[in-house]
Amino acid sequence: MSLIPFRTKRSLGMEPASFSTSSLTDFRNEMNRLFEGFFNRPSVAPGWFETIEPGRWLPTIDMAESDETIRVRADLPGIDPNDVDVSVSEDRLVISGEKKTEAESVGNGWTHRESHSGGFSRAIPLPEAVDPSKVAAHYDKGVLTVNLTKSPTSASRKVPVITAS
Amino acid sequence: MIASSPTSPAERNQLSGSSAEQRLTYRPNVDVATCDDILVLIADIPGSSASAIDVQVEDGVLSIDAAVPARSLPGTAVRREYGIGGYQRSFQIGADFDASQTAATYRNGVLTIRVPRLAAEQPRTIPITAG
Repeated sequence: MSLIPFRTKRSLGMEPASFSTSSLTDFRNEMNRLFEGFFNRPSVAPGWFETIEPGRWLPTIDMAESDETIRVRADLPGIDPNDVDVSVSEDRLVISGEKKTEAESVGNGWTHRESHSGGFSRAIPLPEAVDPSKVAAHYDKGVLTVNLTKSPTSASRKVPVITAS
Repeated sequence: MIASSPTSPAERNQLSGSSAEQRLTYRPNVDVATCDDILVLIADIPGSSASAIDVQVEDGVLSIDAAVPARSLPGTAVRREYGIGGYQRSFQIGADFDASQTAATYRNGVLTIRVPRLAAEQPRTIPITAG
């Protein structure tokens, strides 16, 4: 006598398995987020080396360079400038901070929520090394502008070519 | 009661734009709150200014139209994630709110609009006289 496995409606796929719905939704949301993040960034230098933590939002940025300076601008609407932290290493600019929601000031009658809130951190690889002591950051109307001065030592590094003699 | 304009939910969705000038219209992220006596809308509109934002309430529709000046950074662009353009969005708020008392403030790139609810009519007590 052979044993026939007992099949429930659930195992036959007739009913959605409730225990896996949330993880599937999470997975789908995460994939959507990654795809949107990837395709909505028409950047010249793709952010392969940027750190992206799941569930965190990233401010939109612009970056331009001239002979001596690099300028970075980031959209940070509704953030207290005191809650923004700008740090610079030689070839990396990190803009991080926390956005506090204004929900508390209004009460708990929220019906619709679209704005980002909570912590954010964006590490931006710089095209050239900069002087960490010459950085100026300015916040106006929800837009952060960071002016960086290129490090003179990295402006042109001559590499000697040794010939075999 | 409050319905947003029928646009795609994609963040920073492009609504219209002329390819020649590359001026785009973005859909701002908006938080909407309704309390007992007031409707509050909080819109993220970075880079604009109080004089460049137009808020109108007409026929139960609250519309936001914000201009953002062209803000290209000097030098050669290394990374460009946002284009040049303004923000537009409208909401159907219905007839329950007092449009004439609408107040809007702009601070740190955030537009906050407060529309008070129309004062509810007081129940009338009808005196009954004995015949």
